[in-house]
Amino acid sequence: MDNFWASGWGWTIITVGETLAVIMGVMVSLAFLLWGDRKVWAGVQMRKGPNVVGPFGLMQSFADFFKFLFKEVIIPAGADKAIFLLAPLLTFVIAFLAWAVIPFAPGWVVMNINVGILYLLGISSLGVYGIIMGGWASNSKYPFLGGLRSAAQMVSYEVSIGFIIVTVILLTGSMNLSDIVTHQGGGIWNWNVFGGGGQLGLGIIKLPVMFGMMVMFYISALAETNRPPFDLPDAESELVAGYQVEYSSTPYLLFMIGEYANIVLMCAMISILFFGGWEFPVPLPLAHDGLPYILISLLTFIVKVVFWFLMFAIAKAIVPRYRYDQLMRLGWKVFLPLSLVAVIIIAGYRVYGGAL
Amino acid sequence: MDFNLALHLGLPETILAVSSLLILVFGAFRGDKGMISVSALCGVALIAAAFAAAFGHQGAAFGGSFIVDGVALFAKVAIYIAAVFIIVLGQGYFDRVGAGRFELPILILLAALGMSLMVSAGDLISLYVGLELQSLALYVLAAFRRDDAKSSEAGLKYFVLGALSSGLLLYGASLVYGFAGSMNFHDIAQSATTNLNVGLIFGLVFVICGLAFKVSAAPFHMWTPDVYEGAPTPIVAFFAGAPKFAAMVLFARVLQTGFAAQADQWRQVVLVLAVLSFVIGALGGLMQKDIKRLLAYSSIANMGYALLAIAAGAVGIPALLIFFVLYMVDTLGLFTVQMALSRKGEPVTRIDSLAGLSKTNMPMTIVLTILCLSVLGMPPFSGFWAKYFVFGAAITSGLWQFAAAGLVASVVAAFYYLRILKLMWFDVPAGDMDKSPLETRWIAYAAAAFSFPVVIVFLVYVYPLAQSAAQGFGS
Amino acid sequence: MTVIAIAFYLLALVTLASGLMVITAKNPVHSVLYLILAFFSSAGLFILLGAEFLAMLLVVVYVGAVAVLFLFVVMMLDVDFVKLRQGFANYLPIGLVVGLVLMGELVAISIAVATKGAAAGNQPLVATAAEPNIKMIGHALYSTYIYLFEAAGFVLLVAMVGAIVLTLRTRPNVKRQDIFSQVTRRRKDAVEIVPVKTGEGISE
Repeated sequence: MDNFWASGWGWTIITVGETLAVIMGVMVSLAFLLWGDRKVWAGVQMRKGPNVVGPFGLMQSFADFFKFLFKEVIIPAGADKAIFLLAPLLTFVIAFLAWAVIPFAPGWVVMNINVGILYLLGISSLGVYGIIMGGWASNSKYPFLGGLRSAAQMVSYEVSIGFIIVTVILLTGSMNLSDIVTHQGGGIWNWNVFGGGGQLGLGIIKLPVMFGMMVMFYISALAETNRPPFDLPDAESELVAGYQVEYSSTPYLLFMIGEYANIVLMCAMISILFFGGWEFPVPLPLAHDGLPYILISLLTFIVKVVFWFLMFAIAKAIVPRYRYDQLMRLGWKVFLPLSLVAVIIIAGYRVYGGAL
Repeated sequence: MDFNLALHLGLPETILAVSSLLILVFGAFRGDKGMISVSALCGVALIAAAFAAAFGHQGAAFGGSFIVDGVALFAKVAIYIAAVFIIVLGQGYFDRVGAGRFELPILILLAALGMSLMVSAGDLISLYVGLELQSLALYVLAAFRRDDAKSSEAGLKYFVLGALSSGLLLYGASLVYGFAGSMNFHDIAQSATTNLNVGLIFGLVFVICGLAFKVSAAPFHMWTPDVYEGAPTPIVAFFAGAPKFAAMVLFARVLQTGFAAQADQWRQVVLVLAVLSFVIGALGGLMQKDIKRLLAYSSIANMGYALLAIAAGAVGIPALLIFFVLYMVDTLGLFTVQMALSRKGEPVTRIDSLAGLSKTNMPMTIVLTILCLSVLGMPPFSGFWAKYFVFGAAITSGLWQFAAAGLVASVVAAFYYLRILKLMWFDVPAGDMDKSPLETRWIAYAAAAFSFPVVIVFLVYVYPLAQSAAQGFGS
Repeated sequence: MTVIAIAFYLLALVTLASGLMVITAKNPVHSVLYLILAFFSSAGLFILLGAEFLAMLLVVVYVGAVAVLFLFVVMMLDVDFVKLRQGFANYLPIGLVVGLVLMGELVAISIAVATKGAAAGNQPLVATAAEPNIKMIGHALYSTYIYLFEAAGFVLLVAMVGAIVLTLRTRPNVKRQDIFSQVTRRRKDAVEIVPVKTGEGISE
């Protein structure tokens, strides 16, 4: 039997199992995060928010889920049917593809690949296709404008996200996400947001730079996921609902799940890249391969992700929407040069300041 | 590999590369108002690079992909100096037409960088990268007057055909690499002698076609007249000289280093190109009414003579170098005269408009006369010496039939230069000429002065230099 | 048959099929989407070769950036493809001949490489756990090929400068938002408080 699990087929079965576990986990937590998102939003606007279905309205997301599922799928007459249906599916699939390389706890990762970060970058750049295809296939003005806006916006912010990630790669010397996390182990001061350790002496320069990079990553992540204040692609005051105007029922649901899965993914990325991933803020007196340590790590990671999700929710609730030219200006004229300078500083530190 | 040694060998390129980046930032902050200072800085950078090249060391770096030998240094110095003159002319010209942008001198600088990578190319990749760097900058320069339909047309035509020729070149290079197993010219030569393959020859032919496009040798010349007519004149003066010099040196290097043992095969192809070029150049020029189109055909014909020098083999290399330096001065002078002449603010473009120039603008008439006599090959002007060395080299290596054909072609071509002389000296003027701009006047005088008395002194000093530069080329 | 073989045949098949669809699809947008699929599945082939870095670059650069802009442009263009295809039948024979000749030569190269070993003489470097292929590529790019790498960078710089020169226009009469001056504006520069006595008004 041992042989079987080591063989190609056994490996395939294990991986499929892990994948399903991750997808289910993410889906279920999405339901509650969505509820949390709406609660925060409601709280800021002094409303109650969802409170009818289940205790505290906790089951609201499931109710919505079934409502979307049982409604009729409407396809506009002039739409390109195949692409129209493919677009939400693509968004959904791609949103979950990226979770394959996210390490939840020591050793708890579906695929521990060496180019994990590049994989994330690649997959997140694919996310734009669902939107642009949906916008085009609807054969309608507002969705098309929304799709174009979204394409331009995501491509613009990907550039600065890429450079921000390069600073992290330079600091940790690896593109493997698990390595990046373990490199930040041993206490809160080793987290990349504070410069990744070695801040004494010349290393102090890393502290403001990396903190700035974290802030820029957060803002870029908002733009990359089309969240307010950068939700120009589906700005309801301008484009009704942007690329989603013509969508209903299950396709709409897939879009929505994909969108939220992407948001949570960005939260996971910011936790992993800047806040030590699963690492507890202070060193723990536990064996690193024992179950307690793994469970605490998992919990730490979840807490960090939820914290960042709340930050996303608060930003949505309290920040007014940007104008499109302001959005582009911020991406190309502010973030891109700043992140380039940061790359130069960090690279200079790595050459002249010290080893890893 | 010693990186410091490599930087030492590539000092001219390093100067150009670093200064182009710095000047670009400077220009971006100063805006188009700062064009004059950007031009000055670019000129200084080019002169510094020319000095670095003139006193540069010889050797090879980066695993043989960067070769600095006598020919490369000689060509670099000539190219950089030509680029300085173009920057001076371009500054004045674009200022007058009101299309000046600070990127112009920087693009010229970058084109010069590309050319110097070309003349130093030691393998197929650096050949392609250098060629592309140079061509991309030139495409943009051709379309630089973007509000002018003709300039845009010239840029677009040049770009499309240039892209096509790059495709041919790349396809040939991939064939050569596939059959020879190496990018390096020396390794290709070795592989070609031990294991000659039809595929290798096929690849070579494609590479030759691609390069022939770049030097506008017939039958790949069709872009030349249109681009010359449409592009801004100082840029055309650049096109006609430096890039072709670089491409010819590259041509010679590919053939004589990479395929030295297959000289018999490629010589036929090169000779066909040469004969076609000077025949088409001579006959095509007869019909032209536009000065720049006429000069385009003249340059096609001259490329034929240069190709004859390449076909002559090793003895042709010093002839090629001398030919190009003299030819570059002549074309620079001719285009400068075209820029210097205008009537009521309208540039003189038609040949008929030159009628009676001797009555309105005597100095320019004399300059144009000297340059025309020079290009048609009248002794003792510089054009005669250029042809003398090329035909001499061709006869030395037994290609006397082709030298004779070239001579006939140049006699035919002489007709259209004589027509210009007749128009200028004996016809009735069509109206007064404007006063020529300062820099064009002086560059034209200098070119004319070079063309006759100075050239003798020049040859006394530079011919031995060219000969020693060509020593060991291709081995 | 191993999992890897199945993956290879699947990816290769998808690549070929989508490549074919790129040129046969009637709708240009569909063509671009098939092109993206072709890129994506060739990235998968790269992974099977163990070149995960190249695969990711292909996805990030081609699929993520180049193809998006491509799609962008194709969607905006209103190309009449019926018109474009009018000469198709006329040009088909010569196109076929050229295509066949090029293909024949490529096959010849492949055979030469496979049998006699011309280019096959250069043994490929094999990545190891200690020396993953990102490191090897980085090392090669920044040492052996540094010259070509930097020169290629200059080519891109020229392309960028050229694109800006030929397209950027500053229109003189268009007002642009100057965020710096907006943000640095203070109340005293803009608002004047005038004490007005009741019933008198302000003389202008």
